[in-house]
Amino acid sequence: MKRFCVLTSVIACLVVLPTSARTRVPLQEQRGTPDLSGFWELSFDSRNVPRANLLPAITRAKLDAHAKKDAYAIRWCNLLGVPFIMDPGRPLDIRQGSTAIIIVPENSSPPRYLYTNRSAHISDDIFDPSTNGDSIAHWEGDTLVADTVGFHGEHGISAIPGGGYRTGKSRLVERYRLLKEGSILSVTFTWTDPSVFRTPHSYEFRYQRLPATYEPRQWLSCDPFDEDRARFLESPSSPKPTSRAVSKE
Amino acid sequence: MKLRVVLVVTLLWSFAAPPMVQGQSSKIRLEGDWVRIDPDGVGSFGGLNGVIPPAQLLPGVSAGGGGGRGRGGGGRGGRGAPPVSESATPNPEGVPYIVVAQPCFGGVGRSNGALLVSPDSGGVHFVEHKDEVIFAGERGGVRHIYTDGRSHPNVWTPTPAGHSVGRYDGSTLIVETSGFTPGMVPGGGVRTSETRLVERFEMSPDGNRLTITYTWEDPKVYQKPHVYRYYFERAPTVESKGTKVSYALEEWCDAGDPIEKQSIIPPKQIIK
Repeated sequence: MKRFCVLTSVIACLVVLPTSARTRVPLQEQRGTPDLSGFWELSFDSRNVPRANLLPAITRAKLDAHAKKDAYAIRWCNLLGVPFIMDPGRPLDIRQGSTAIIIVPENSSPPRYLYTNRSAHISDDIFDPSTNGDSIAHWEGDTLVADTVGFHGEHGISAIPGGGYRTGKSRLVERYRLLKEGSILSVTFTWTDPSVFRTPHSYEFRYQRLPATYEPRQWLSCDPFDEDRARFLESPSSPKPTSRAVSKE
Repeated sequence: MKLRVVLVVTLLWSFAAPPMVQGQSSKIRLEGDWVRIDPDGVGSFGGLNGVIPPAQLLPGVSAGGGGGRGRGGGGRGGRGAPPVSESATPNPEGVPYIVVAQPCFGGVGRSNGALLVSPDSGGVHFVEHKDEVIFAGERGGVRHIYTDGRSHPNVWTPTPAGHSVGRYDGSTLIVETSGFTPGMVPGGGVRTSETRLVERFEMSPDGNRLTITYTWEDPKVYQKPHVYRYYFERAPTVESKGTKVSYALEEWCDAGDPIEKQSIIPPKQIIK
Protein backbone atom coordinates (compact mmCIF):
# COMPACT_ATOMS: atom_id res chain seq x y z
CA MET A 1 0.00 0.00 0.00
CA LYS A 2 2.82 2.38 0.96
CA ARG A 3 4.63 1.66 -2.30
CA PHE A 4 1.40 2.24 -4.22
CA CYS A 5 0.88 5.64 -2.59
CA VAL A 6 4.44 6.75 -3.35
CA LEU A 7 4.09 5.59 -6.94
CA THR A 8 0.78 7.44 -7.27
CA SER A 9 2.32 10.62 -5.91
CA VAL A 10 5.27 10.40 -8.30
CA ILE A 11 2.96 9.84 -11.25
CA ALA A 12 0.84 12.76 -10.11
CA CYS A 13 3.93 14.96 -10.06
CA LEU A 14 5.01 13.86 -13.52
CA VAL A 15 1.58 14.30 -15.04
CA VAL A 16 0.20 17.34 -13.26
CA LEU A 17 3.27 19.58 -13.27
CA PRO A 18 3.85 19.83 -17.01
CA THR A 19 0.12 20.21 -17.59
CA SER A 20 -0.09 22.99 -15.05
CA ALA A 21 2.91 24.72 -16.60
CA ARG A 22 1.10 24.73 -19.93
CA THR A 23 -2.23 25.98 -18.72
CA ARG A 24 -1.38 28.18 -15.80
CA VAL A 25 -1.57 31.92 -16.46
CA PRO A 26 2.05 33.03 -16.63
CA LEU A 27 3.26 34.71 -13.47
CA GLN A 28 5.58 37.65 -13.35
CA GLU A 29 8.79 36.80 -11.61
CA GLN A 30 8.68 36.82 -7.83
CA ARG A 31 5.61 39.01 -7.58
CA GLY A 32 2.83 36.57 -8.04
CA THR A 33 1.06 38.86 -10.48
CA PRO A 34 0.01 37.67 -13.91
CA ASP A 35 2.48 38.33 -16.70
CA LEU A 36 0.73 40.20 -19.50
CA SER A 37 3.83 40.05 -21.69
CA GLY A 38 3.46 38.81 -25.21
CA PHE A 39 2.39 39.73 -28.69
CA TRP A 40 -1.29 40.61 -28.86
CA GLU A 41 -3.55 41.13 -31.83
CA LEU A 42 -7.12 42.30 -32.35
CA SER A 43 -9.33 40.35 -34.69
CA PHE A 44 -12.50 41.40 -36.49
CA ASP A 45 -14.61 40.28 -33.52
CA SER A 46 -12.37 41.66 -30.78
CA ARG A 47 -14.15 44.93 -30.10
CA ASN A 48 -17.22 45.65 -28.01
CA VAL A 49 -17.71 49.38 -28.36
CA PRO A 50 -21.02 51.01 -27.38
CA ARG A 51 -21.89 54.49 -28.54
CA ALA A 52 -20.56 57.20 -26.24
CA ASN A 53 -22.97 59.38 -24.32
CA LEU A 54 -21.75 62.81 -25.32
CA LEU A 55 -22.59 66.16 -23.81
CA PRO A 56 -25.02 68.31 -25.80
CA ALA A 57 -22.16 70.77 -26.27
CA ILE A 58 -20.36 68.23 -28.46
CA THR A 59 -21.91 69.32 -31.70
CA ARG A 60 -21.43 67.91 -35.16
CA ALA A 61 -19.25 70.90 -35.95
CA LYS A 62 -16.93 70.13 -33.03
CA LEU A 63 -16.69 66.47 -34.02
CA ASP A 64 -15.91 67.48 -37.59
CA ALA A 65 -13.23 69.87 -36.43
CA HIS A 66 -11.55 67.10 -34.44
CA ALA A 67 -11.86 64.68 -37.35
CA LYS A 68 -10.06 67.26 -39.46
CA LYS A 69 -7.25 67.48 -36.93
CA ASP A 70 -6.96 63.69 -36.90
CA ALA A 71 -6.70 63.68 -40.69
CA TYR A 72 -3.99 66.31 -40.41
CA ALA A 73 -2.04 64.08 -37.99
CA ILE A 74 -2.21 61.23 -40.49
CA ARG A 75 -1.33 63.46 -43.44
CA TRP A 76 1.81 64.78 -41.72
CA CYS A 77 2.92 61.49 -40.14
CA ASN A 78 2.59 62.92 -36.65
CA LEU A 79 2.77 60.85 -33.49
CA LEU A 80 -0.64 59.22 -33.15
CA GLY A 81 -0.95 58.40 -29.46
CA VAL A 82 -3.69 56.93 -27.27
CA PRO A 83 -6.30 55.64 -27.96
CA PHE A 84 -5.27 54.99 -31.56
CA ILE A 85 -2.17 52.93 -30.78
CA MET A 86 -4.22 50.43 -28.79
CA ASP A 87 -5.91 49.48 -32.09
CA PRO A 88 -3.24 50.22 -34.68
CA GLY A 89 -4.05 47.46 -37.18
CA ARG A 90 -0.95 45.47 -36.23
CA PRO A 91 -0.03 43.43 -33.14
CA LEU A 92 1.12 45.06 -29.92
CA ASP A 93 4.23 43.92 -28.09
CA ILE A 94 3.59 44.19 -24.34
CA ARG A 95 6.48 43.57 -21.94
CA GLN A 96 6.20 43.65 -18.21
CA GLY A 97 9.36 44.89 -16.54
CA SER A 98 10.25 45.61 -12.94
CA THR A 99 9.39 49.32 -13.07
CA ALA A 100 7.04 49.66 -16.03
CA ILE A 101 4.97 47.80 -18.55
CA ILE A 102 5.75 48.89 -22.07
CA ILE A 103 3.29 48.69 -24.95
CA VAL A 104 4.99 48.87 -28.32
CA PRO A 105 2.94 49.37 -31.48
CA GLU A 106 4.25 48.43 -34.90
CA ASN A 107 4.22 51.98 -36.17
CA SER A 108 6.30 55.08 -35.64
CA SER A 109 4.37 56.29 -32.61
CA PRO A 110 6.31 56.08 -29.38
CA PRO A 111 5.56 53.20 -27.03
CA ARG A 112 3.38 53.59 -23.96
CA TYR A 113 4.91 53.20 -20.52
CA LEU A 114 2.58 52.13 -17.72
CA TYR A 115 4.66 52.93 -14.66
CA THR A 116 4.29 50.46 -11.83
CA ASN A 117 7.01 52.03 -9.67
CA ARG A 118 5.05 55.11 -8.63
CA SER A 119 1.53 55.68 -7.41
CA ALA A 120 1.09 59.34 -8.33
CA HIS A 121 1.01 61.15 -11.63
CA ILE A 122 3.73 63.61 -12.53
CA SER A 123 2.75 67.09 -11.36
CA ASP A 124 0.88 69.19 -13.90
CA ASP A 125 3.49 71.90 -13.60
CA ILE A 126 6.22 69.48 -14.74
CA PHE A 127 4.56 67.15 -17.20
CA ASP A 128 4.26 68.32 -20.78
CA PRO A 129 0.99 66.98 -22.18
CA SER A 130 1.61 64.26 -24.76
CA THR A 131 -0.23 62.00 -27.15
CA ASN A 132 0.19 59.07 -24.74
CA GLY A 133 -0.23 60.99 -21.48
CA ASP A 134 1.22 59.91 -18.14
CA SER A 135 0.23 56.38 -17.15
CA ILE A 136 0.57 54.74 -13.76
CA ALA A 137 -0.58 51.22 -13.01
CA HIS A 138 -1.18 48.90 -10.08
CA TRP A 139 -2.53 45.42 -9.55
CA GLU A 140 -5.95 44.69 -8.06
CA GLY A 141 -5.81 40.93 -7.75
CA ASP A 142 -5.34 39.54 -11.23
CA THR A 143 -6.27 42.83 -12.89
CA LEU A 144 -3.82 45.53 -13.88
CA VAL A 145 -5.44 48.93 -13.48
CA ALA A 146 -3.81 51.72 -15.46
CA ASP A 147 -4.71 55.36 -14.97
CA THR A 148 -3.72 57.94 -17.59
CA VAL A 149 -3.95 61.72 -17.57
CA GLY A 150 -1.86 64.45 -19.16
CA PHE A 151 -3.11 64.03 -22.70
CA HIS A 152 -2.43 66.69 -25.26
CA GLY A 153 -5.67 68.13 -26.55
CA GLU A 154 -4.47 68.83 -30.07
CA HIS A 155 -1.70 66.40 -30.96
CA GLY A 156 -2.13 63.03 -32.63
CA ILE A 157 -5.35 61.18 -33.36
CA SER A 158 -7.84 62.21 -30.69
CA ALA A 159 -10.89 60.18 -31.79
CA ILE A 160 -12.17 57.78 -29.13
CA PRO A 161 -13.86 54.55 -30.23
CA GLY A 162 -17.62 54.91 -29.84
CA GLY A 163 -17.57 58.68 -30.22
CA GLY A 164 -16.03 61.77 -28.77
CA TYR A 165 -12.41 62.73 -28.54
CA ARG A 166 -9.72 63.18 -25.97
CA THR A 167 -8.84 66.60 -24.65
CA GLY A 168 -6.40 67.91 -22.09
CA LYS A 169 -9.00 67.15 -19.42
CA SER A 170 -9.51 63.50 -20.36
CA ARG A 171 -8.78 60.65 -17.99
CA LEU A 172 -8.48 57.05 -19.11
CA VAL A 173 -8.72 54.07 -16.78
CA GLU A 174 -7.82 50.71 -18.31
CA ARG A 175 -8.30 47.30 -16.73
CA TYR A 176 -6.09 44.55 -18.15
CA ARG A 177 -7.03 40.96 -17.40
CA LEU A 178 -5.96 37.62 -18.85
CA LEU A 179 -8.74 35.27 -19.88
CA LYS A 180 -8.88 31.69 -21.12
CA GLU A 181 -5.66 30.59 -19.43
CA GLY A 182 -3.72 33.52 -20.77
CA SER A 183 -4.67 33.20 -24.42
CA ILE A 184 -6.87 36.33 -24.37
CA LEU A 185 -6.09 39.76 -22.96
CA SER A 186 -9.18 41.74 -22.06
CA VAL A 187 -8.71 45.48 -21.80
CA THR A 188 -11.62 47.61 -20.63
CA PHE A 189 -11.17 51.29 -21.42
CA THR A 190 -13.13 53.91 -19.49
CA TRP A 191 -12.88 57.54 -20.52
CA THR A 192 -14.08 60.41 -18.41
CA ASP A 193 -13.94 64.02 -19.50
CA PRO A 194 -16.24 66.69 -18.10
CA SER A 195 -16.00 68.61 -21.37
CA VAL A 196 -16.94 65.70 -23.66
CA PHE A 197 -18.83 62.84 -21.99
CA ARG A 198 -22.13 62.98 -20.15
CA THR A 199 -21.31 59.67 -18.46
CA PRO A 200 -18.08 57.65 -18.33
CA HIS A 201 -17.56 55.95 -21.68
CA SER A 202 -16.45 52.30 -21.47
CA TYR A 203 -15.63 49.75 -24.12
CA GLU A 204 -13.68 46.51 -24.22
CA PHE A 205 -11.10 45.04 -26.56
CA ARG A 206 -10.10 41.38 -26.40
CA TYR A 207 -6.64 40.79 -27.79
CA GLN A 208 -5.57 37.35 -28.92
CA ARG A 209 -2.13 36.08 -27.92
CA LEU A 210 0.17 35.39 -30.85
CA PRO A 211 2.79 32.64 -30.72
CA ALA A 212 5.84 33.52 -28.62
CA THR A 213 7.94 33.12 -31.75
CA TYR A 214 6.17 36.04 -33.43
CA GLU A 215 8.46 38.89 -34.39
CA PRO A 216 7.28 42.45 -35.01
CA ARG A 217 7.63 43.67 -38.55
CA GLN A 218 9.65 46.73 -39.43
CA TRP A 219 7.04 49.42 -39.61
CA LEU A 220 6.18 51.01 -42.90
CA SER A 221 7.71 54.33 -43.70
CA CYS A 222 5.51 57.41 -43.48
CA ASP A 223 6.83 60.21 -45.68
CA PRO A 224 4.99 63.50 -45.15
CA PHE A 225 6.80 64.92 -48.18
CA ASP A 226 5.60 62.26 -50.60
CA GLU A 227 3.44 64.36 -52.88
CA ASP A 228 1.63 61.42 -54.39
CA ARG A 229 0.69 60.18 -50.93
CA ALA A 230 -0.44 63.66 -49.98
CA ARG A 231 -2.64 63.88 -53.09
CA PHE A 232 -4.12 60.48 -52.25
CA LEU A 233 -4.99 61.57 -48.74
CA GLU A 234 -6.17 65.02 -49.59
CA SER A 235 -9.81 65.58 -50.36
CA PRO A 236 -11.97 68.71 -50.42
CA SER A 237 -12.14 68.51 -46.65
CA SER A 238 -8.46 67.71 -46.22
CA PRO A 239 -6.52 69.47 -43.53
CA LYS A 240 -4.17 72.17 -44.65
CA PRO A 241 -1.14 73.30 -42.71
CA THR A 242 -2.44 75.52 -40.01
CA SER A 243 -2.32 79.24 -40.24
CA ARG A 244 0.90 79.35 -38.25
CA ALA A 245 3.29 81.35 -40.34
CA VAL A 246 7.04 81.42 -39.96
CA SER A 247 7.64 83.45 -36.89
CA LYS A 248 9.48 86.69 -37.12
CA GLU A 249 10.69 86.47 -33.59
CA MET B 1 3.66 8.27 5.04
CA LYS B 2 6.50 10.76 5.62
CA LEU B 3 7.58 10.35 2.00
CA ARG B 4 4.05 11.03 0.83
CA VAL B 5 3.96 14.22 2.88
CA VAL B 6 7.27 15.33 1.37
CA LEU B 7 5.96 14.68 -2.11
CA VAL B 8 2.74 16.55 -1.47
CA VAL B 9 4.68 19.51 -0.04
CA THR B 10 6.99 19.46 -3.08
CA LEU B 11 3.99 19.40 -5.35
CA LEU B 12 2.32 22.31 -3.58
CA TRP B 13 5.54 24.34 -3.55
CA SER B 14 5.96 23.87 -7.25
CA PHE B 15 2.51 25.36 -7.81
CA ALA B 16 3.02 28.23 -5.41
CA ALA B 17 6.56 29.26 -6.31
CA PRO B 18 6.77 31.75 -9.15
CA PRO B 19 9.01 30.74 -12.02
CA MET B 20 12.57 31.91 -11.56
CA VAL B 21 14.06 33.88 -14.36
CA GLN B 22 17.60 32.99 -15.17
CA GLY B 23 20.04 35.79 -14.58
CA GLN B 24 17.41 38.29 -13.51
CA SER B 25 16.80 37.58 -9.87
CA SER B 26 19.46 39.59 -8.06
CA LYS B 27 21.32 41.48 -10.72
CA ILE B 28 21.59 45.22 -11.19
CA ARG B 29 18.90 46.07 -13.65
CA LEU B 30 19.42 47.81 -16.95
CA GLU B 31 15.75 48.75 -16.89
CA GLY B 32 14.97 52.43 -16.66
CA ASP B 33 15.83 55.74 -18.24
CA TRP B 34 19.30 56.73 -19.46
CA VAL B 35 20.96 59.71 -21.10
CA ARG B 36 24.22 59.76 -23.00
CA ILE B 37 27.05 61.68 -21.35
CA ASP B 38 30.26 63.34 -22.44
CA PRO B 39 32.88 61.80 -20.14
CA ASP B 40 35.81 63.44 -21.91
CA GLY B 41 34.28 66.91 -21.87
CA VAL B 42 34.57 67.40 -25.62
CA GLY B 43 31.51 69.60 -25.48
CA SER B 44 29.69 68.80 -28.70
CA PHE B 45 28.17 65.91 -30.61
CA GLY B 46 30.73 66.44 -33.34
CA GLY B 47 33.38 66.16 -30.67
CA LEU B 48 31.80 63.01 -29.21
CA ASN B 49 31.86 61.40 -32.62
CA GLY B 50 35.39 62.67 -33.15
CA VAL B 51 36.78 60.65 -30.25
CA ILE B 52 35.53 57.39 -31.76
CA PRO B 53 38.54 55.46 -33.05
CA PRO B 54 38.51 55.48 -36.85
CA ALA B 55 37.38 52.24 -38.43
CA GLN B 56 40.16 50.23 -40.07
CA LEU B 57 38.59 49.45 -43.41
CA LEU B 58 39.90 47.01 -45.96
CA PRO B 59 41.45 48.54 -49.06
CA GLY B 60 38.77 49.48 -51.55
CA VAL B 61 36.01 49.86 -48.98
CA SER B 62 34.60 53.37 -48.92
CA ALA B 63 34.33 55.01 -45.54
CA GLY B 64 30.84 55.71 -44.36
CA GLY B 65 30.30 59.22 -43.15
CA GLY B 66 33.99 59.99 -42.74
CA GLY B 67 36.10 59.65 -39.64
CA GLY B 68 33.91 60.00 -36.66
CA ARG B 69 31.00 61.52 -38.53
CA GLY B 70 29.01 58.42 -39.29
CA ARG B 71 25.47 58.09 -38.14
CA GLY B 72 23.45 55.05 -37.50
CA GLY B 73 20.67 56.08 -39.77
CA GLY B 74 17.79 58.45 -40.06
CA GLY B 75 15.64 59.64 -37.27
CA ARG B 76 13.14 62.29 -36.42
CA GLY B 77 13.42 66.00 -36.37
CA GLY B 78 14.98 66.50 -39.75
CA ARG B 79 18.31 65.01 -38.80
CA GLY B 80 19.87 63.89 -42.01
CA ALA B 81 17.29 65.71 -44.07
CA PRO B 82 18.66 67.83 -46.89
CA PRO B 83 19.19 71.39 -45.70
CA VAL B 84 17.88 74.34 -47.58
CA SER B 85 20.72 76.15 -49.32
CA GLU B 86 22.02 78.95 -47.21
CA SER B 87 21.90 82.46 -48.39
CA ALA B 88 25.18 84.31 -48.59
CA THR B 89 23.46 87.37 -47.21
CA PRO B 90 22.77 87.34 -43.49
CA ASN B 91 19.14 87.63 -42.57
CA PRO B 92 17.98 90.90 -41.05
CA GLU B 93 17.60 90.95 -37.33
CA GLY B 94 14.63 88.93 -36.15
CA VAL B 95 14.18 86.99 -39.40
CA PRO B 96 14.78 83.28 -38.83
CA TYR B 97 16.93 81.16 -41.03
CA ILE B 98 15.15 78.27 -42.74
CA VAL B 99 17.56 75.42 -42.24
CA VAL B 100 15.53 72.23 -42.52
CA ALA B 101 13.84 71.45 -45.82
CA GLN B 102 12.01 68.38 -44.56
CA PRO B 103 11.48 68.61 -40.81
CA CYS B 104 10.65 65.50 -38.80
CA PHE B 105 11.77 63.23 -41.59
CA GLY B 106 15.08 61.44 -41.94
CA GLY B 107 14.77 60.54 -45.59
CA VAL B 108 14.37 56.79 -45.13
CA GLY B 109 11.37 56.76 -42.86
CA ARG B 110 10.82 58.55 -39.61
CA SER B 111 11.81 56.61 -36.54
CA ASN B 112 12.94 53.75 -38.68
CA GLY B 113 14.53 51.90 -35.83
CA ALA B 114 18.10 52.54 -36.86
CA LEU B 115 18.72 55.40 -34.50
CA LEU B 116 19.23 53.22 -31.47
CA VAL B 117 22.17 51.47 -33.03
CA SER B 118 23.91 54.75 -32.27
CA PRO B 119 21.86 56.71 -29.74
CA ASP B 120 22.17 60.48 -29.79
CA SER B 121 21.12 63.15 -27.34
CA GLY B 122 17.62 61.88 -26.67
CA GLY B 123 16.89 59.78 -23.62
CA VAL B 124 16.79 56.01 -24.05
CA HIS B 125 14.70 53.55 -22.06
CA PHE B 126 14.91 49.86 -21.33
CA VAL B 127 12.21 47.50 -20.16
CA GLU B 128 13.51 44.04 -19.29
CA HIS B 129 11.41 40.94 -19.52
CA LYS B 130 12.74 37.40 -19.36
CA ASP B 131 11.94 36.80 -23.04
CA GLU B 132 12.68 40.18 -24.53
CA VAL B 133 14.34 43.48 -23.74
CA ILE B 134 12.79 46.57 -25.29
CA PHE B 135 15.23 49.38 -26.05
CA ALA B 136 13.32 52.55 -26.93
CA GLY B 137 14.45 56.07 -27.73
CA GLU B 138 12.71 59.36 -27.14
CA ARG B 139 13.70 60.58 -30.60
CA GLY B 140 12.18 57.54 -32.25
CA GLY B 141 13.14 53.95 -32.76
CA VAL B 142 12.40 50.79 -30.83
CA ARG B 143 14.61 47.73 -30.76
CA HIS B 144 13.37 44.28 -29.85
CA ILE B 145 16.13 42.21 -28.25
CA TYR B 146 15.04 38.60 -27.87
CA THR B 147 16.42 36.90 -24.77
CA ASP B 148 14.33 33.74 -24.96
CA GLY B 149 17.10 31.70 -26.55
CA ARG B 150 15.95 32.00 -30.14
CA SER B 151 18.51 32.33 -32.90
CA HIS B 152 18.50 34.61 -35.91
CA PRO B 153 15.89 33.59 -38.48
CA ASN B 154 17.05 31.77 -41.60
CA VAL B 155 14.99 34.09 -43.76
CA TRP B 156 15.22 37.75 -42.87
CA THR B 157 14.66 40.92 -44.83
CA PRO B 158 17.38 43.34 -43.72
CA THR B 159 16.25 46.32 -41.64
CA PRO B 160 18.05 49.39 -40.31
CA ALA B 161 18.07 47.92 -36.80
CA GLY B 162 18.73 44.33 -37.86
CA HIS B 163 17.69 41.28 -35.84
CA SER B 164 18.92 41.18 -32.26
CA VAL B 165 19.26 38.34 -29.78
CA GLY B 166 20.64 38.81 -26.28
CA ARG B 167 21.84 36.99 -23.22
CA TYR B 168 22.96 38.00 -19.77
CA ASP B 169 26.44 37.52 -18.39
CA GLY B 170 25.81 38.50 -14.78
CA SER B 171 24.38 41.99 -15.01
CA THR B 172 25.77 42.62 -18.49
CA LEU B 173 23.45 42.25 -21.43
CA ILE B 174 25.25 40.99 -24.52
CA VAL B 175 23.39 41.58 -27.77
CA GLU B 176 24.28 40.14 -31.13
CA THR B 177 22.73 41.74 -34.20
CA SER B 178 22.84 40.92 -37.88
CA GLY B 179 20.60 41.45 -40.89
CA PHE B 180 21.23 45.17 -41.33
CA THR B 181 20.41 47.25 -44.33
CA PRO B 182 23.55 48.87 -45.74
CA GLY B 183 24.46 52.05 -43.92
CA MET B 184 27.02 54.06 -42.08
CA VAL B 185 28.62 53.33 -38.74
CA PRO B 186 30.14 55.87 -36.35
CA GLY B 187 33.89 56.26 -36.74
CA GLY B 188 33.77 56.11 -40.53
CA GLY B 189 32.62 52.51 -40.63
CA VAL B 190 30.06 50.93 -42.86
CA ARG B 191 27.68 48.04 -42.45
CA THR B 192 26.27 45.62 -44.98
CA SER B 193 23.71 42.85 -44.80
CA GLU B 194 26.56 40.54 -43.73
CA THR B 195 27.89 42.76 -40.95
CA ARG B 196 27.58 41.55 -37.36
CA LEU B 197 27.34 43.85 -34.35
CA VAL B 198 27.97 42.78 -30.77
CA GLU B 199 26.90 45.22 -28.05
CA ARG B 200 27.75 44.86 -24.38
CA PHE B 201 25.42 46.82 -22.10
CA GLU B 202 27.50 46.97 -18.95
CA MET B 203 26.55 48.76 -15.77
CA SER B 204 28.71 50.18 -13.02
CA PRO B 205 28.54 48.37 -9.67
CA ASP B 206 26.21 51.03 -8.28
CA GLY B 207 23.89 50.68 -11.29
CA ASN B 208 24.08 54.37 -12.17
CA ARG B 209 26.41 54.28 -15.17
CA LEU B 210 25.99 52.37 -18.38
CA THR B 211 28.67 51.67 -20.95
CA ILE B 212 27.72 50.28 -24.32
CA THR B 213 30.65 48.72 -26.14
CA TYR B 214 30.03 48.34 -29.86
CA THR B 215 32.01 45.80 -31.86
CA TRP B 216 31.35 45.72 -35.59
CA GLU B 217 32.67 42.68 -37.42
CA ASP B 218 32.70 42.04 -41.13
CA PRO B 219 35.68 40.36 -42.79
CA LYS B 220 34.68 41.92 -46.10
CA VAL B 221 34.71 45.43 -44.65
CA TYR B 222 37.01 45.73 -41.64
CA GLN B 223 40.69 44.88 -41.22
CA LYS B 224 39.89 44.26 -37.57
CA PRO B 225 36.74 44.60 -35.50
CA HIS B 226 35.67 48.21 -35.16
CA VAL B 227 35.23 48.91 -31.45
CA TYR B 228 34.04 52.03 -29.62
CA ARG B 229 32.01 52.91 -26.56
CA TYR B 230 29.12 55.17 -25.57
CA TYR B 231 28.56 56.22 -21.97
CA PHE B 232 25.29 56.90 -20.18
CA GLU B 233 23.97 57.91 -16.80
CA ARG B 234 20.60 57.30 -15.27
CA ALA B 235 18.28 60.05 -16.49
CA PRO B 236 18.06 63.01 -14.13
CA THR B 237 15.08 62.89 -11.82
CA VAL B 238 12.60 65.64 -11.18
CA GLU B 239 10.80 66.38 -7.95
CA SER B 240 7.12 65.62 -8.34
CA LYS B 241 4.75 65.59 -5.40
CA GLY B 242 7.62 65.01 -3.01
CA THR B 243 9.13 62.13 -4.98
CA LYS B 244 12.08 62.06 -7.35
CA VAL B 245 10.98 60.50 -10.61
CA SER B 246 12.19 60.05 -14.15
CA TYR B 247 10.06 59.11 -17.10
CA ALA B 248 10.10 58.89 -20.88
CA LEU B 249 9.49 62.17 -22.64
CA GLU B 250 7.69 62.51 -25.94
CA GLU B 251 9.44 64.39 -28.71
CA TRP B 252 6.84 66.14 -30.79
CA CYS B 253 7.61 67.21 -34.32
CA ASP B 254 4.99 68.33 -36.82
CA ALA B 255 6.24 68.21 -40.39
CA GLY B 256 3.30 70.36 -41.47
CA ASP B 257 4.23 73.20 -39.16
CA PRO B 258 6.35 75.80 -41.00
CA ILE B 259 8.03 76.75 -37.75
CA GLU B 260 9.75 73.36 -37.71
CA LYS B 261 11.79 74.49 -40.70
CA GLN B 262 13.34 77.43 -38.99
CA SER B 263 16.26 77.44 -36.69
CA ILE B 264 18.42 80.27 -35.52
CA ILE B 265 16.91 83.70 -35.23
CA PRO B 266 19.61 86.34 -35.30
CA PRO B 267 19.51 87.93 -31.89
CA LYS B 268 19.22 91.62 -31.34
CA GLN B 269 22.69 93.10 -31.55
CA ILE B 270 23.87 95.19 -28.65
CA ILE B 271 26.23 97.95 -29.65
CA LYS B 272 28.31 99.30 -26.81
